[in-house]
Amino acid sequence: MRGVAPFLTRYGVLVAFVALFLVNAIWQGEVFLKPENLRNLLNQNAAVGIIAVGMTFVILTGGIDLSVGSLMALAAALGLVVLNRAMATGVSEGTAVWLAAATMLGSGLALGMLNGLFVAWGRVAPFIATLVGLVGFRSLVLALANGGEVRSSSMETLPSLGTGGLPTGLASAGGTPLVLTWGVVLFLVVTLVAEFVTRRTRFGRLVYAVGSNERAVRYSAVNASVAKFWVYALSGTMCGLAALTLSARMNSVASGSMGAYYELDAIAAVVIGGTSLSGGVGRVWGTFLGVLLLGMITNMLVVANVPVYWQGVVKGAIILLAVLLQRSAAKE
Amino acid sequence: MSVRCLAAVSLLASAFLAGCQSGQPSAGGAGTEGDAAPQRIVIGVSVPAADHGWTAGVIWWAEQAMALYPNVEWKFSTADTPAKQISDLETMMAAGVDGIVVLATESAPLTPIAKQIRERGILLINVDRGFLEPAADVFIEGDNKAFGRKAAEYIVQRLNGQGNVVILEGIPSTVNTDRVEAARSVFARYPGIRILDQQTGMWNRQKAMEVMQTILLKHPKIDAVWAADDDMALGAEQAIREAGRQNEMWLIGGGGMKDVVKKVLDRDPMYPATVTYSPSMIAVGIHEAVSILRDGKRTEILKFFPRHITLDVELVTPENAQQYYFPDSVY
Repeated sequence: MRGVAPFLTRYGVLVAFVALFLVNAIWQGEVFLKPENLRNLLNQNAAVGIIAVGMTFVILTGGIDLSVGSLMALAAALGLVVLNRAMATGVSEGTAVWLAAATMLGSGLALGMLNGLFVAWGRVAPFIATLVGLVGFRSLVLALANGGEVRSSSMETLPSLGTGGLPTGLASAGGTPLVLTWGVVLFLVVTLVAEFVTRRTRFGRLVYAVGSNERAVRYSAVNASVAKFWVYALSGTMCGLAALTLSARMNSVASGSMGAYYELDAIAAVVIGGTSLSGGVGRVWGTFLGVLLLGMITNMLVVANVPVYWQGVVKGAIILLAVLLQRSAAKE
Repeated sequence: MSVRCLAAVSLLASAFLAGCQSGQPSAGGAGTEGDAAPQRIVIGVSVPAADHGWTAGVIWWAEQAMALYPNVEWKFSTADTPAKQISDLETMMAAGVDGIVVLATESAPLTPIAKQIRERGILLINVDRGFLEPAADVFIEGDNKAFGRKAAEYIVQRLNGQGNVVILEGIPSTVNTDRVEAARSVFARYPGIRILDQQTGMWNRQKAMEVMQTILLKHPKIDAVWAADDDMALGAEQAIREAGRQNEMWLIGGGGMKDVVKKVLDRDPMYPATVTYSPSMIAVGIHEAVSILRDGKRTEILKFFPRHITLDVELVTPENAQQYYFPDSVY
């Protein structure tokens, strides 16, 4: 039995993921296991997944980033505004889309740096500093779009970025080929790179160190503030990538709803993935599975036609089970 | 430093005095109903914050209506929660408004403040979402049950009472319940209509698209989609088109969104019809407030003015779509 507890603490999310996958495969496999459904599962969670990877770094330092959903929406809206301006002045569609992508990434980075500045040197508690962003960035998007939508005037290039991707060789029931969309590819690449960074780089070790014992880090003459600053900048950049993914998918930005509650989904995914909210302990691949686990629950509820009012209860119960699995194991 | 402080204080003081002065005539007006002398009236307008297309439309129409009456002093505010809306209304009362037009964020929490407003003798016009007690002088509402019923009747008629239907509902709320229950009770009368699935798209395009993607995988044959609003219809449409099944089924949403009305107008086969539920109803309320207050004949007008106005929901088809199409509107 002594081997089981540490195994569950470390791999609990994997166990929960596999268990839920099997339940779905056996219970409602004829829909759930369709390649198209699995593709949708990845597709629908790519944006929040990319954000959750960034969130993992923030939480590893013992911080939190509540601004992610609003930040993503703002970056996306700014990108589309640039795209529309560029096309209106005669820039080619392809170039305009590149400009939009650069704007989204750039503004994501800049807004993330703003968060980082407040937390690292402004000495504002991360919860408050990023709460300001959650409220403020959303308000800016609403003002920018007059409460409605920002629509892209790119009718070919941007939507094709949203629907295109790597061929898988599979086809849907209707015969259309299934691709691993660029958003999903981005999510996979970001996860792999982040996994590498946390394990193998000096920055990665610093992130863990700051989260587990900030004072010790300060005494050992390493600059904890710098690390903190950069995790928020990183989180903002991930929001920029997610903004590109989602705005290409919808070819528009809905100012009120795009990214709403993404901060909660991202934080939940990180925690389900085994990262401690108090920092210092956690892993990126856990977040990856946490995102897919959450997505699988949503998908499962619709496939099983669970009544709308009851979906929250089922979702909450599964999340609780997944976390308890790791918690009880850690205690023993 | 002290000089600057002094300057700031005196600025504040003068602003305060100016506020008091401009507030005085209107404060007098609020107390005396039916005063014959026309004067500069002050009207407050409080609506929910723009969190989706329809509420953005409310704000746009409110601004259009207010701009028609530059002689009225307008106090406009938007609220994302009932708490914020209550404090907005308290601020308006303190500012001595003559009338208030309110589209409530939620019914129950706003009822007590509505009664206070009424007790103060301020004209209260309530639009779309009612209070729990009849606290308003005039209540103008859209007919959510007709919304659900008319769209569902259209589906039944077009399918000749035989077919597979999917229901996409909004966020659980009274508006949603009224629409969905009305639609379901129509479908229930026709045994040939099968409701394959009923799921929530959360009044949200992206969410509706994702839910529809899954629903499409579950059911090989769908004839029609009933969506509780136009945003969700657009999301479902994207999922259907991406699955290459646009020839198999069509949609009916509602709300009067200009893009959807345009599709009906252009005879898009996926949008044979839609129903209205126009955010312009706020403009009706604003116009009524002005017309009741501006000549100082409030008491006389309220003797005959209807207490409760229900705006019918209309079925929009290619034949009549032109009259419901407002290209300049944000919604």
